[in-house]
Amino acid sequence: MDTVTSYTRFPTVRIRELKDDYIKFELKDTDPSIANALRRIMIAEVPTLAIDLVEIETNSSVLNDEFLSHRLGLIPLKSERAMEMRLSRDCDACDGDGSCMYCSVEFTLNVKCTSDQTLDVTSHDLISSDPSVVPVDNNLAQDINGFDAPEARGILIVKLRRGQELKLRAIARKGIGKDHAKWSPAATVAFQFEPEIHINEALMESLSLEEKKEWVDSCPTKVFEVDPQTQQVVVVDAEAYTYDEEILKKAEAMGKTGLVDIISRDDSFIFTVESTGAIQASQMFINAIEILKTKLDAVRLSFDTEEADDQFGELGAHMRGGGM
Amino acid sequence: MDHGGPAPPEPVTYLCGDCGADNTLKPGDVIQCRECGYRILYKKRTRRIVQFEAR
Repeated sequence: MDTVTSYTRFPTVRIRELKDDYIKFELKDTDPSIANALRRIMIAEVPTLAIDLVEIETNSSVLNDEFLSHRLGLIPLKSERAMEMRLSRDCDACDGDGSCMYCSVEFTLNVKCTSDQTLDVTSHDLISSDPSVVPVDNNLAQDINGFDAPEARGILIVKLRRGQELKLRAIARKGIGKDHAKWSPAATVAFQFEPEIHINEALMESLSLEEKKEWVDSCPTKVFEVDPQTQQVVVVDAEAYTYDEEILKKAEAMGKTGLVDIISRDDSFIFTVESTGAIQASQMFINAIEILKTKLDAVRLSFDTEEADDQFGELGAHMRGGGM
Repeated sequence: MDHGGPAPPEPVTYLCGDCGADNTLKPGDVIQCRECGYRILYKKRTRRIVQFEAR
């Protein structure tokens, strides 16, 4: 065992910013493959709830039934329960549709416009059978001016004229973004490699103050700065670097190749995760890890893997958990 | 509730495109409004529930 190199690494997470629908964190000591797997799982495999079946009784609005059904499907629903729920195709407690507590949530909508003013039908008009599963409400409540912020009015579904009516029943089910984008909890999931910037101080000193300023200004993002006191070029924000290489081309054009050396660290990632509000951004990441673990278990326990163990050589121990 | 089979054809109600009056028509009838003689009639929406996939 001592001769076998251990490939086990112990990744760390450091949270920089945390809000309900936004998280920014560093993921260190792991590979790009892991970072990318987590990104892809957050987008396409973390389950949420979304309206999947619509039964329309009356619709005299200007939008046709199909159009309305599609709009209803796209409304994000609070899905804290989704991880524990069953996919309706795997649910044996019910016949697929209807209100089964394990796999579906029922919504009703019944609105009629009786006034001369246009009536907005919004996500607030959807009545849920489960108080924990409701359309997302960013509830920013009131704008600074005292007017309702657009978000406080809910998500607009359709507008009704006098006499028009909309009456329907909708069934929300659990699903994943891979099946349809309406189930994706992600608004944005992105990671960047942490850049490491080394300035060649000796070469930098051969530049005049004007040249330094010119070089610093050639960077499209504010990565460098000329210190007003020492007149030295310093890195103010390494992460602002977008790997555009403009600064390297500029150095070359000035005849100062090697003025700066920029390496992208492939074991350190900066993640930005934004949620649609269906689940908290932090929970999205936690669920993604959970899903990745179940997937790895499926690989590890599969008969095919054991059969093909030989091809992994010393990595076999790593595949089985490294312990033995 | 299916309409298949040799059940007697039910008269269907239509709306006149001009005056908006209700018209009941049987198969073979002339397509014309009884009130105003307008020749465009609209069929009403079904009273049954219609089901859609929200995709």
